[in-house]
Amino acid sequence: MTEPRPRTDVLPATGASIIETRGLSKVYQSASAPIEALADISIDVRPGEIVAFLGPSGCGKSTLLEILAGLISPTSGEVTIDGQPPRPRAEVGLMFQQALLFPWRTVLANVLLPAELREKTDRDWKARAHELIAMVGLEGWAEKYHWELSGGMQQRVALARVLLLDPEILLLDEPFGALDEMTRETLDLEMMRIASDAGKTVVLVTHNVYEAALMCDRIFVFTPRPGRIVGVVEIDEPQPRGLAFSTTTEFGERVAQVRGLLSGDSDE
Amino acid sequence: MSERTATKDPVTDKPVVQAGGLDSGWKERSIGPIGAIILAVIFVVTVELLVLNEILNDIIVPRPTDVFSALITTLSEGFFYRHLWVTTLEVLIGFVVGTALGFALGALLGISRRARAISYPYVVAFQGLPKVVLAPVFITIFGFGIESKIVMAIAISFFPVLINTMAGLTGVDPQARRLMRSLNASEWHIFTKLSLPSSLPLIFAGIKTGLTLALVGAIVGEFVGAESGLGYLLDVYSYQLEIPRVWAITTILAAMGVILFLFIEWVDRKVVFWQSRRELSTGM
Repeated sequence: MTEPRPRTDVLPATGASIIETRGLSKVYQSASAPIEALADISIDVRPGEIVAFLGPSGCGKSTLLEILAGLISPTSGEVTIDGQPPRPRAEVGLMFQQALLFPWRTVLANVLLPAELREKTDRDWKARAHELIAMVGLEGWAEKYHWELSGGMQQRVALARVLLLDPEILLLDEPFGALDEMTRETLDLEMMRIASDAGKTVVLVTHNVYEAALMCDRIFVFTPRPGRIVGVVEIDEPQPRGLAFSTTTEFGERVAQVRGLLSGDSDE
Repeated sequence: MSERTATKDPVTDKPVVQAGGLDSGWKERSIGPIGAIILAVIFVVTVELLVLNEILNDIIVPRPTDVFSALITTLSEGFFYRHLWVTTLEVLIGFVVGTALGFALGALLGISRRARAISYPYVVAFQGLPKVVLAPVFITIFGFGIESKIVMAIAISFFPVLINTMAGLTGVDPQARRLMRSLNASEWHIFTKLSLPSSLPLIFAGIKTGLTLALVGAIVGEFVGAESGLGYLLDVYSYQLEIPRVWAITTILAAMGVILFLFIEWVDRKVVFWQSRRELSTGM
């Protein structure tokens, strides 16, 4: 376990990290008292790394993801994605717990949405969309509508959609959290294979310790009120991993370590 | 076919009653239309017998056979079509303009929080107003001709479209908006590719109500003061105690309403094709 060093010094010029935050905080103004959603968050994520933001509800992990996606801005502190301030862009893909497929669009049209919104005509997006639909295991489903798909299949479509513009960074907000355990595991492993094959950087927001330990190289453990990082757990197992990893002692030890961090804080 | 078997409540495992269930029920069980026809026959024959035996006075309720012959006579008279044309024109222009106006204002109020805040008291006040009271006002302003009826039809039909458009646009799934923003969508794209299509089911519900109300508006306008139109004709026959004629015109107006409604429903099913399907899908 390595504590994140609360550094307030200048950002390193080398740019070794693809995601950097320094002393980041987010305060929401409410009617009664300000709510500190995030306090003093300093993290570094290296290119190609798969990390988890893990913690209970209300620990600010999703807020941090939204800051990284450029959807909301922090109250104070610094944050850079690829050396630039965060903003919605093609290099960063965001995926949600709900598939959010538009019911008036076919699977293909849903997958094509990101290219359509950017009015990109520089390549054959249709061909790429068909490729991705096949890659997520939905060959032959391109012309179907979402009501013909199961929940797991809908999330596969959402995965194809987020991959369309080939983002370097995937920000995943409990992407398979609404699915049943078996489907979630299958999709987790597939996603991990896709991400590590393409050398993508992945940030996975989850409250599932096993999911985090199975998928991720590092786990940032969050606790709520205020949302802060209480520790970082490294998992030294090459990617992509299989389900077999979840039966190893390494896996068990890391899970125990994360649990210790989560409960250690509540004992104080 | 298999879709119907999928329409079970996931909790109770009982069949889910859907919107439009009447419609699909009719298709499935032919007892529906046959039963409806039998009911109509029983009703007509009963009324006929009651009037024939002078249990009911034919000044109050005319014999259905008299209504039928009055209907035939009316449909064979040339001047009737002039009145039919006037009312049709009032309803269609009123409906189209009212819908367009309702949509435009509803969209404005749906998009702009400020516009919503400023106009909210007026929206509420207008919602509470029984709009038929405006008929005499419009007659005074626009005269006895077709214009006052069109304005009346607009005034009464634009409101449900306005309310539903506003409700649809303000009720867009915030997560879907977040998705659009993460894809760097412009406000225009968010409107055209997310907000508008996801509001269409509600907007069409408003349009359907608006259509029925446009007919009400035109007829009320004609009642209050007109020189032509089916409402005017109805008024005249009523004064002349031509009761079978009154019922014949009423029947024609009902048919007109049904035809217009079925047309809009057909358009609705074509445009908002995903809505009935969504109700059929199980799970998410």
